[in-house]
Parts: sequence; structure tokens; C-alpha cells
Amino acid sequence: MSGYDSALSIFSPDGHVFQVEYASEAVRRGTCAVGVKGKSTVVLGCEKRTTLKLQDPRITPSKICKIDNHALLAFAGLNADARILVDKARVEAQSHRLTLEDSVSIDYLTKYVASVQQKYTQSGGVRPFGVATIIAGFDANDNEPKLYQTEPSGIYNAWKAHAIGRSSKTVREFLEKNYEEGMDDEKTIKLTIKSLLEVVQTGAKNIEVSVLKPGDTIEKLSVEEIKKYVEEIETEKEAEAEKKKPRSSDD
Amino acid sequence: MSRRYDSRTTIFSPEGRLYQVEYAQEAISQAGTAIGILSTEGVVLACEKKVTSKLLDDDGSAEKIYEINDNMICAVAGMNADASILVNSARLYAQQYLKTYNEDIPCEMLIRRVCNLKQGYTQHGGLRPYGVSFLYAGYDERYQFQLFTSNPSGNYSGWKATSIGANNAASQTMLKKDYKDDMSLKEACELAMKVLSKTIDSSNLKGEKLEFATLSLSQDKKKIIRKIWKASDVDLLIKDTGVLDKIDEE
Amino acid sequence: MDVILGLRVADATIIATSKAATRGITVLKSSDDKTRVLNPHNLIAYTGEAGDTVNFAEYIQANIQLYSMRENDIELSPKATASFIRNQLATSIRSRKPYQVNVLLGGYDVASNTPTLNWIDYLGTQVELPYAAHGYAAFYCTSLFDRHYKKGMTVDEGLELLKMSLKELEIRMPLDFKGYYVKIIDKDGVRDAGSL
Repeated sequence: MSGYDSALSIFSPDGHVFQVEYASEAVRRGTCAVGVKGKSTVVLGCEKRTTLKLQDPRITPSKICKIDNHALLAFAGLNADARILVDKARVEAQSHRLTLEDSVSIDYLTKYVASVQQKYTQSGGVRPFGVATIIAGFDANDNEPKLYQTEPSGIYNAWKAHAIGRSSKTVREFLEKNYEEGMDDEKTIKLTIKSLLEVVQTGAKNIEVSVLKPGDTIEKLSVEEIKKYVEEIETEKEAEAEKKKPRSSDD
Repeated sequence: MSRRYDSRTTIFSPEGRLYQVEYAQEAISQAGTAIGILSTEGVVLACEKKVTSKLLDDDGSAEKIYEINDNMICAVAGMNADASILVNSARLYAQQYLKTYNEDIPCEMLIRRVCNLKQGYTQHGGLRPYGVSFLYAGYDERYQFQLFTSNPSGNYSGWKATSIGANNAASQTMLKKDYKDDMSLKEACELAMKVLSKTIDSSNLKGEKLEFATLSLSQDKKKIIRKIWKASDVDLLIKDTGVLDKIDEE
Repeated sequence: MDVILGLRVADATIIATSKAATRGITVLKSSDDKTRVLNPHNLIAYTGEAGDTVNFAEYIQANIQLYSMRENDIELSPKATASFIRNQLATSIRSRKPYQVNVLLGGYDVASNTPTLNWIDYLGTQVELPYAAHGYAAFYCTSLFDRHYKKGMTVDEGLELLKMSLKELEIRMPLDFKGYYVKIIDKDGVRDAGSL
């Protein structure tokens, strides 16, 4: 028994901060979230836990949260932790507007969220946030889509496309294989949904998608819209399988 | 050795779990059942009382059902002492909002605030988490009648019908089978009684061992009526639904 | 010495504010907008101690925006917004350095489809009124409003009445306000009605 993982966030002799590593495990247990950057859009997608028959869809909280008019945050990990983190981000976004008269840049917002997460890995008597986030949006007067990720440790990175949470490795590999530069809106949305379908077997009803465009435009896709994409993707897949079949019989 | 991750404050286990929180939830799954059902005309909360004694004096207060403000009530499963602290906070938040905005607090906002408080105890302070789950019944302008649950982790969710405490899985299966979207409040009460009758010991199926409360609109639809039932009312419902007779037949 | 007027008509609320920013006997600017949009259906117009005013209005704006973010874009109603502002001023007046700000809140309640106008002063007085004004303008315009305001006026009739009042100010007050900005709040939100 080493004891280096029972106290809150301290170094073990071989240089691990176990609580932070364990927090990342909590993220891996959370539902999957994906972010994909297109030419002039950025799309966030989320795996939605099966809404049980008796759950009230009107009032069950979403996993894609609006931080400000131009920024969205999707998370994977502990829901309650995320709520606290999201609230801190929202307060910072407004406070930034109040003091600087400008909206937060996505870069600044990410740094802020990451720094809060870092603080909880190094302060006394607290455990880290069991949450990873994907932050997406547009800076003021800029049409360049932005996409970032933060981890429980406080590390953050900019990405072209990224996935966090359950089976995120599979999704990330899929994205690496299929990502193209300068995708149009349709293509970006489709890739997001397609990548989520790698881990979500149950289709449209378990997927949530939000699309951000320049000028504070945030659209949440309806289940019907997502269904349309899912069907499109499935027919494409079938067509591809058809194409492959005769060739394999030739071999 | 397994106690390494659960002896002190709430920290992550190597699998990324919070054992303290899970243990608290475990304790709740052994507490008295509470059921909540949303109907078109209102919400019903029903629970089983654990502490009953002939010598216990009735001062009119309920054991597991609390009023939060003019349009919200809640039922508790778990540690009652913890619950009364949280209910106190909930009442305070409700009045603070009313004072600031001159409007009743939206249900979800109140629940979120209480849940933020619960979450705090799973992350810092070196204290144990609150050992309570709640069923909230509420009414607001945004979504009219609503039913929520919350648990020690600080998570909450909205429901049409659900149950917390002992046998909650069995209760939920039954609710899933029999719940209808267009139920009247009376039908909801009867369903709650029916589910209770099948999940608790039939000797406990009497007014003094059960607690019922309903939230509904007044005749002119302008006021919310919070009614915590008297034992005699519950007895009447037992008779109406005939749940006892059915058990006898079996 | 600023002019801020508000008028509630059948399906909208109209707010007019003077464009001059003055300090002592000097006009600093003749295109000063003394309003802030709080959320899609709420507009605050302010007057009072320079500095305090903008500071307070923007603080309120940030709080109302934060509320919308937290509540998934659900807007705080005009009535609740007015109460919140009143509460802030009532707290402030009991502090060491109170805000010296008077405001009008023009709103449109989407739930009940009614326009609203709230008059709030730095002491924390809050009233819902059909027409209102702060400062010297109130002395000249209230009587005109009393005489000519009719229930269920249209926006155009309201604008006419407003023009009449502003003309009266020009005739009777020994100051030049450098014109006025007019804003209309109705079911479609806040819009600019140009300047008079």
C-alpha cells in the first residue's frame, strides 16, 4: 500500500498524481462527446443516454451547454461536476464582457476553464473535476471556427476534430481517418454524426447535435434532422458495402 | 485494502469512481420507498414511513414530506437529518429568489441550486456527501407541473413517474407498465397506491404508515394547492383502490 | 440634465433619451446613447451621476445576460427584471457609496403579451406606469401626457405624443439636448426608431 493515492492530489515517488489520473478514468466512463471544425462552422455532438420511457424530456438537462452567445461547451464525465464548471465559465464570460466590453475569445475561455481545473489538482482538500470539456465557438468579428479541449489535469489543446469520453479512442481514430480540411457545413455535421455512430448503436434518438456559425448563430438540430443524416449515412454505408461485395467475390 | 479509497473524504478510485457517493446511494436504496407520479392535473408523492410507534405523538408534521415554498413539495429517501438541512437551504433559496425577482423560483433552478450544494460536498471540504435523495413536485409558469429526482452525487433529472428508496427498480418497472400520459390526479394517486401495495409489506399498508401529498391547481386555476394527506384520507384511498382486498384474495 | 421619457402604448413601449452628454456647462458629446439592451425584450434607460450610470446599467446587463445563459435562453420577464434592478438599488442606497442612478425599464412580457414600463429611482422606488420620465423633463412632460395619453394608443400615436412633449421641452427648457434617440420594444424585441 503506497498511500500516494489516498490523500488528495499529491505526487507519488515515481511522479504520478494519482487523483488526476483517476479523474481521467471518470471521464472515460462518461458518455462520448465530439467536436468537428469545418470551413466556416464548428459542430458539437453528444451521445445521449437512453431516455427512459418515463423520463421527462422537457426538463432533463443537456450535455451541450451555452456559455455565451458565441460559445458552446460539451462535456464528458461527472454531470454534477460539469454543472459547477459550466457555471464558473458562464460567470467569467459575462464578467469579461463587463470589464472589457468584448465577448471572451474561445482561446481565453478555454484557458480559464483549464485553469479552474488545474487549481483543483493542486489545492488542499479538494479532488479534481471528473470532467473533460470540448469548447467551440467564434471570436468576436472573426469567421474562423475555434475548437478546444480541456482535461481534468488542466491541460488544454486546440483541435481540428476531437472526441472525449467513452470509446473516444475509436471515435478519434475514425476522425483522423476521415477528416478533411475546409469541409462545408453539411459535410461537417455529417462527419460529426458519422463519428458518433461509431459508438452509438441506437441511432438518432441517442444523439444530440449543435451547430455554431459566425455571428452568434447556434442551432440545435432536432431529432428529425439528425435522423435524416443518420439515414443518409446508413444508405451510403450500404452502397459502399455493395460496391465491395462483387470485388471480394472476384478475388 | 478496499477501504483505502473510501475511508477519508470523497476521492476518485482508480476506476474513476466516487465510492463515498456510491455508498451514500447504497444507503438510500435501503431507505423507505417514495414514489412520484405526474398527471395532467397535478403531481402526487407517496412514501412509506419507517418510524412508527403508538407512543409517537402526532404534531401534524410529516416524516418524509416537506413543503419548500408555495408551489413546491418534496419527499425524502435516506438520512432524515441530512434532509432537513437541505430542505432548509431549499426554502432559503426559494425565498431569496422571491425577494430579488418578485416571482416564484422556477422549479429547475431551485433544484439545481440544492444540487450544487450537494455536489460541493462530493468535491471539497473533507466532509461526507449528503445521504439523501429527493423527489420534488413543483409547478411553474415555464413547464407547469413537474417531477424531479436528485441524488447524493448532485445529479438531477425530470420524470413523468419515478421512485427512490427501497425496491425502486421494481416500482419503476410497474410504473413503466401502468403509466399513461393522460392520467387524472386521482388515477395517479391510485397508481401510486397500487405500486406501494406491491413493494411494501402488506401489514404496513395503512394510513398511519404511509404518507401522501399532492400538488394541484385550485378551481379557478390561480392558486397551487399543496395537500399533505391525513392518515384517514390515505385509509380512504386504500379502501377505494381495494388494494388490501386483492392481497387477501391472493 | 438628461431627458429620458417612456410611454406604454397598446402593443409596445417607447423610450426616448436625449443625445447630449454634458459635464457642468459643457456638452461633451452629442451622440450619447443612454440605454442598454438587457435581453431581447428588455431595455434600460438611465440618468444620474455620470460614471455611475453606465457602470450600473452594464452591471445589470451582465447579470440579466448571465441569467439567460444559465436558464437555457429563457428570458427574465420585465416584472422580474424591474424587481431585480430595484433590489440592487435598494441594496446600494444602504451602502457606503450608493449608485446615483434613476432608470426606466421598457419591456415586453412575452408570456402575457403585454408591454410594460417601470419607473425606478436611486432610492429603490419601483412603479409600473403607462408613461414616465425622470429629471426636469418630468415636470414639463407629465402634464402633457396626463392630458393627451389615451389607453390603447397605437405606436404612431405614441410617437406623435412623444414629439409633442419633446417640442415642449425645446420651447420651455433653456438647454439644447442635441436631439433624441427613440427605441421601441414590442413582441419582436427591441428596435431603433431612429432619432427625433
